[in-house]
Amino acid sequence: MSGFDTKYDMYPAGDVGVVEGEMNVPSRGVPAGDSMEFNTLDEPIKETFLRDLRAVGNKFYHVLIPREKTSLLKEWDLWGPLLLCTFMATVLQGSTERADNSNDGGPEFAEVFVLVWIGAAIVTINSKLLGGNISFFQSVCVLGYCLFPIALSLIICRVILFTTQNTFLFFLRLVISMIGFAWATFAATKFLGDSQPEGKKGLAVFPICLFYFILSWLVVSHSNV
Amino acid sequence: MANINTGELLNFQDYSPEHNERSARIDVEAVHTNQYNNSMSNSSYTYEEPKIVEEPQSAPQTNHNFWTLEYYQKYFDVHTSEVVERIISSVLPQKVSRNYFDERIKGKPDLYGPIWISVTLIFTIAVSGNIANYLQSINKAVIWRYNYHLVSYAATAIVCYVWLVPLALWAALKWTTVPDGQDEMETQTPSTPTMISLFCLYGYSLSIYIPVAILWTIPISWLQWLLVLMAALVSGAVLIFWLLPALKKSKYFLILTSAIIGCHFLLAAGFMLYFFHVPDSQP
Repeated sequence: MSGFDTKYDMYPAGDVGVVEGEMNVPSRGVPAGDSMEFNTLDEPIKETFLRDLRAVGNKFYHVLIPREKTSLLKEWDLWGPLLLCTFMATVLQGSTERADNSNDGGPEFAEVFVLVWIGAAIVTINSKLLGGNISFFQSVCVLGYCLFPIALSLIICRVILFTTQNTFLFFLRLVISMIGFAWATFAATKFLGDSQPEGKKGLAVFPICLFYFILSWLVVSHSNV
Repeated sequence: MANINTGELLNFQDYSPEHNERSARIDVEAVHTNQYNNSMSNSSYTYEEPKIVEEPQSAPQTNHNFWTLEYYQKYFDVHTSEVVERIISSVLPQKVSRNYFDERIKGKPDLYGPIWISVTLIFTIAVSGNIANYLQSINKAVIWRYNYHLVSYAATAIVCYVWLVPLALWAALKWTTVPDGQDEMETQTPSTPTMISLFCLYGYSLSIYIPVAILWTIPISWLQWLLVLMAALVSGAVLIFWLLPALKKSKYFLILTSAIIGCHFLLAAGFMLYFFHVPDSQP
């Protein structure tokens, strides 16, 4: 403190000398081709649409092959999670006829939808509370995109369900959805694991596991044709 | 709590005239805000007794608002090994030191364990309840369909149990404890456990039900009842074991003890009968 004060006394305010230098705006340094990126007012709507779709597809690809860690974290969007969540909720919803017994046969559309979003939000809040340095929507984006393997397993199970069922096919569905579960957990852990402080990684990964396990359980138990 | 050296502040310190009273003013402000924050944080949870100040690591000041996420971060400041240790202590108390509850859980209660153990238990019961239902109907002619809404029933039961029972127990302990001497009032030793530490204890005591819920899927009636008795006795006994010093001070020691055990047994029996039990009278 005293060192600071003596310095402060030596250089009184107002006499700081001549300030020189250049003020660079870093974003001007991009190549010339990228400057067209921001001028999208007069491009056809098809191009805009396709570019966004390509970005979403690229993220799906990164979930399937989770090699580089930053690809999903850099630019988050919620289009992919919305697509996946809507798709899963549509397929998973139970039928309304309850003739044979009291069991309802499956969740409603809104229940799956809410389960996915609230679940992702709770897992994210958990990792924030544990002290992870990641923004809220980044984490929700990663958790949503990592549903992709589970959605794939849902498609395969749905195809299997069209044939007549027996025990072998049930175990096949079980194995497929467990592979989807393991894949999703692996990918999400790969993307989100580094944001946690040391010694708390297990605490952050466990809720992610639970979240994907519940969704995989919904996939396995979805059996009404 | 106050990680400011009060002795140094109270001592006479002379400030040389060339000091432009900058440092002095900053220190006074620091003391002021510290006291203000302490009184604020104490008033937000009034049941907290004065902690024994032995925090050499000087945790960052918890001057966050009640509504912010950072306020709750102090309840999630645990490591994986600590959580594992607490789960073990809720089943096998001889593995940890005898005053583990007083030293560790009361001093640093966490909400991570209770919340995620409850959530895990809710979904374990829902999943294995469905499996049990499937195994029971495997011989019948009806086509089995799974019941998604077991989740909501299990969630209601567990959330009520984890939040309401510790609340009632905390209130009972607070208003039935007889102070057993004048000196205790003066020294202000912590007599009743805090509410958060009771939540923490109850949450961890549910952890034994997770493996038990998986075992309940075996459709043998006497085995299910045996598991109910075992789980309720083990985790109820551990609860009593940790709470014994506080319970002894209460006027209604026996009533409280039997209420704790009884609630635990009722919860286990309720789970088993509602989600897993094979009805005896087959049509």
